[in-house]
Amino acid sequence: MSTEQVGIGLRQPHYAELLSRPPALGFVEVHSENFFADGGAALAVLHEARGHYPVSLHGVGLGLGSAAGLDPWHLDRLARLVERIEPVRVSDHACFARAALPGGDVVHANDLLPIAFSEGSLALMASHVGQVQDRLKRPLLIENLSAYVTFSGDEIAEPEFFARLCARSGCGMLLDVNNLMVNALNAGAADPLAACRAFIDALPLGIVGEIHVAGYSEAGEIAIDDHGSRVRPAVWAACAHALRRFGALPVLVEWDTAVPPLEVLLDEAARAAALHG
Amino acid sequence: MDDQEVRRQQALIAAIGGAPPIGLRETGARAARGLEAYRAHAEASAERALRAALPTVQALLGDELFARLAREFWHAQPPLRGDLGEWGDGVAAWLQAHPGLTPWPYLADCARLDLACHRIERAADAALDAASLSRLESADPAQLRLVLMPGAALVRSRWPIVAIRQAHQLTGDDAERAFDELRGAIALPQGEDALVARDGWRAVVHALSPSEAAWTELVLGDTDLATALERVGPGFDFAHWLQRAIRHQWLSAVARTSSSREA
Repeated sequence: MSTEQVGIGLRQPHYAELLSRPPALGFVEVHSENFFADGGAALAVLHEARGHYPVSLHGVGLGLGSAAGLDPWHLDRLARLVERIEPVRVSDHACFARAALPGGDVVHANDLLPIAFSEGSLALMASHVGQVQDRLKRPLLIENLSAYVTFSGDEIAEPEFFARLCARSGCGMLLDVNNLMVNALNAGAADPLAACRAFIDALPLGIVGEIHVAGYSEAGEIAIDDHGSRVRPAVWAACAHALRRFGALPVLVEWDTAVPPLEVLLDEAARAAALHG
Repeated sequence: MDDQEVRRQQALIAAIGGAPPIGLRETGARAARGLEAYRAHAEASAERALRAALPTVQALLGDELFARLAREFWHAQPPLRGDLGEWGDGVAAWLQAHPGLTPWPYLADCARLDLACHRIERAADAALDAASLSRLESADPAQLRLVLMPGAALVRSRWPIVAIRQAHQLTGDDAERAFDELRGAIALPQGEDALVARDGWRAVVHALSPSEAAWTELVLGDTDLATALERVGPGFDFAHWLQRAIRHQWLSAVARTSSSREA
């Protein structure tokens, strides 16, 4: 069993332990925005981690689908971080985050808000992905969301939206299978795992560059993608299906809330490695 | 810009803020529950970001009131950037104007001090340019200025803000003693001026005498050395300050003024 293709999030509670005795991992992932500061301790830790592992920069704030446009400040900070860290991959989400308020201020929701799967939205995403890739001089991976509301009148099926986005902009896709499961549950799918498999099967070969797995919670009638627990068996099954279809891609185990002891996370990483065979 | 997407996205942001939802596939309770998930995430982000930035304010107000105010501030002054470490510039003035916070007249100044500490811990890493010190012996003071470390800040207050911050970082008997002294200082009230600097990665707060505070204000205002020495007046010992500035990592460099560089 090899962890060459498996990564975990580098999170503050694990900094000391992970860097003093670096376990065998293929990469570590961080949220880019947490390292946008000019200096300070967190950035120093990331530089140290970079000495042990390839780093995957996973953004949560570009807001690539924002009709209000990209924030040049954000792009500047990301470009500086990419230059500093030389990451193995750079990714963000198919979401919007920025919107103009009635007073004219453009606010940033600091959340991954759903986009419409429309021709207009596809054009916006492709244009913004292109802008970022031109600036960073490298392709992005774009992740599918878990969405708690959706827009009526969507014109394009989500897998097709990603296929066309990748073809048009030259980006890749970051396939989050936990998000597929959360969406299937929230849509009331009779067989959520079958819905995840159908989504995976509808994606063209060659566009997916990384897979994410995580835990979710159930709050009343909806599932919440809170990254706060072990990966559910059905999500592992969806991950295995994706690996069979797309080949041995990097898999990230995400755990961002109620972060457990490192050994728990490494145990999840070992499960992911086992899927690679 | 795609007008339809603009409208859709503005409507969703408004709906998360409490306006009636428009254009969603989900309806009724299911739509409400979905929007609530986004609202809860925003509120948790607000609390987390301000907890990290304002530890003294949180300790003064208690967890419940602090969390409520963090959520209120999020709606009053929503973030404009996608890095919440940058959020909160207006929080001190907002707290000062908040009608429910009159029992804590020192709260806004404590927030200013907390925020200055938060900012300096994110500031660029720097070391003293020791070679630049020789300019103090060789150059005309009118053509020199002192440069403090990135993020160094002066916070002036008529309240004992340094003692308040430090008391809230102590535990056990030390905290009891500090709070006893603090109650006396607040009753007077006994003001304090603070220089925020960094020791390694951590922010450090230094209480300044009135003449040191006046000096620091001149230095942070890029006043040339000769003018600063003239304006700071008697009672200020530059040699002593310089020793402290080097020992405590306040000073980054002795630089030439822009006019001397042009000459």
